[in-house]
Amino acid sequence: MSSLKTSWANRVSDRSLLYIFLLPTFGFLLFLVVFPLAWSLYLSFTTYSANIDQPPIFVGLSNYTAIFRDPEIWYRFVVTGQFVVLTVIIQFFLGFLIAMLLNRKFYGRGLLTTLFILPMMFSPVVIGKFFRFMMDTNWGVINYLLVGVGFPRIAWTASFEYALYSLVIADVWVWTPFMVLLSLAGLSSVPRYLYEAADVDRASGWFKFRYITLPYLAPILTLAVLFRTMDAFRFFDLVYVMTGGGPGFSTQTIPYYIYMLAFSFWRTGKSSALAYILLIIIIALSNIYINYLNRVRRA
Amino acid sequence: MKRLIICVMLIILAFAMFNATAIAQEEVTLTIQWAAGAPMDTLMILAEDFTAQTGIKVVGDAVPWALYHDKMFTDLASGRPGFDIVLPDSQWLGAAVEGGHLVDLTDWVNENVDKNLIFEEMLRAYSEYPDGSGRYYGIPGSANALGISYRKDLFEDPAEQAAFKEKYGYPLDVPQTWSQLRDIAEFFYRPEQNLYGIALWQRPTATAGVVDQFLSLFWAFGAELWNPETRRVKGYLNSEEGKAAARLWVELFQFHPPGAAGYSVDDTNVAMRKGMVAMMGTYFSFYPGIHNPDLSLYWDRIGWFPTPGEKRRVSQLGGQGMSISAYTPHKEEALKFLEWWLREETQWKWVRAGFFSPRVDIIEDDRFLEYAPPNEAVRASFPVLKDFWEIPLYHEMGTVMAEILNKAVLGQLTPEEAMDLVAERHEEILQREGYYN
Repeated sequence: MSSLKTSWANRVSDRSLLYIFLLPTFGFLLFLVVFPLAWSLYLSFTTYSANIDQPPIFVGLSNYTAIFRDPEIWYRFVVTGQFVVLTVIIQFFLGFLIAMLLNRKFYGRGLLTTLFILPMMFSPVVIGKFFRFMMDTNWGVINYLLVGVGFPRIAWTASFEYALYSLVIADVWVWTPFMVLLSLAGLSSVPRYLYEAADVDRASGWFKFRYITLPYLAPILTLAVLFRTMDAFRFFDLVYVMTGGGPGFSTQTIPYYIYMLAFSFWRTGKSSALAYILLIIIIALSNIYINYLNRVRRA
Repeated sequence: MKRLIICVMLIILAFAMFNATAIAQEEVTLTIQWAAGAPMDTLMILAEDFTAQTGIKVVGDAVPWALYHDKMFTDLASGRPGFDIVLPDSQWLGAAVEGGHLVDLTDWVNENVDKNLIFEEMLRAYSEYPDGSGRYYGIPGSANALGISYRKDLFEDPAEQAAFKEKYGYPLDVPQTWSQLRDIAEFFYRPEQNLYGIALWQRPTATAGVVDQFLSLFWAFGAELWNPETRRVKGYLNSEEGKAAARLWVELFQFHPPGAAGYSVDDTNVAMRKGMVAMMGTYFSFYPGIHNPDLSLYWDRIGWFPTPGEKRRVSQLGGQGMSISAYTPHKEEALKFLEWWLREETQWKWVRAGFFSPRVDIIEDDRFLEYAPPNEAVRASFPVLKDFWEIPLYHEMGTVMAEILNKAVLGQLTPEEAMDLVAERHEEILQREGYYN
């Protein structure tokens, strides 16, 4: 009994125990998140190649000014912006529409919902390969069907006109289910009695949608759009597999270009600077969404 | 008694541990990183002979081609790559050497390699860095060159031959010049029959894309990428010869199948296997799938010829050297492997398995012609090889060139504008990296 009283555990206060348990987590966070962030921030102000065993040379804001002066990088920002806007808008409306349809009770609803969310579970590389084959100009199934109904063949992934749209189509296929899932969750949270009360008042379908469904769904939809926007800005894998950034560099999104700068050209300093610019853009956009979300909640 | 038993057990345990350590120390396993595919599989099979002779085990780290460059360099940059020997593409040598990632083999090569037995350009491109320095960081590994495959059934059809002769005034045969190749591509361009003149790599990438194949035409026109002394690009790459090459390249694109602007290795191979094109450019070592009856509709009706000449005949070098990682703890064993690899006996086995040797004596031996369909064209190509930059900037310069040429074939730039722009961008890159200081 006496040994128990003097045991180590009994001498440690609750607060100390708290720190002891938190310490490994903080350690991991520092090592895996804070240190790489700080180190890459430092590298963004240097000329440095991770491939060569030479120390970074401090160059101040040179990497940032070079990026802002380069019209080709601006072009890649425009491509990224076009992709984000197109893909998020299509996914939003399509996902919401499908969720509205799936929110009704019908036979096979569960199976259909499961099938709808399947694309999200495939590996992006597999999806990229699938779409590359399906969109092949000469033996792809999509052109086979188009030619069958009298349309000309389209060089989906190899023409300036269609390459970006081919990426948008693939991304919409993968990520619309995410919108469906969140919209469904939102729809199921709307109390049934509100609809019943509206029915008693003989409210129209549009009225119920506008004044009951939409206000309830707004926070979760904003959150879904926020997640998708953040993710779309980091779009890389399908570009890598489907178009390789081509034709020319017309489908090189900023993350793809960062990858090329970092691991193909080994310009670690400049790639770090570009990564930080992208990070700042994502944080700024996220803040706009979050402010809107807070306003919706307060309302 | 109890203590005695424990003592005996401890002694047995210690003895077992000592033995295990001794065995572990004796057993060395070399890991070789290379692109996944038939050559890697064959190398692993041949390496069993090496193991039988030396007791040194060999295992492979096969990486898919598309990931190979990035994986290899990321592994090396980590300072702890999981391999001892690596086979980098020739143009990657400079980046690997400048990074301090490869063992300097100069003394070993000078003592152990009979340079007269190796094709000169191969030794330079796969092994020497910088050019002309006499410093070696590898030996020739997998020898390769760019060639053209063609549908023999079309070329040898008497009706086609007569029609071609009537239209162009000379007989239909394997082209000797790129201009003749252009005529043949035009002749067989029949979209209504789903037949196209030619498929060449057009993908805007530095490796396995437009640069490799364009350069075989570019060299043939007598153009040069730069002045090797001054490193100036303007006036060389965008010379009249360079622009003429670009004009023909863009002209050839109109005889490609639709959507060919994104073509790389697999796309052109599939086009030929389906019989969709009369001619197709690829590295010779990619022939197996084209002659495989399970994969190819025309496997027995496909022939090969070296890339044609124009003002001169030059073949674009492909393949990889064999180098030792600077981080390996098994340098001696790795050197033994390199020595074994270049032996005549090993190289003959490699050739019998259907691949190509960097040894002049083997390629010139008539028995070489028996082992693979493209071997006659390979023999004609190896003495006239040429390779592009091996400096660390090759990837950035190659990518810039690829993206601009890709724009030119799709009509966004004229060939002349494209070559001027490539030259300007290359000088900017070289200037930035201090090549003109």
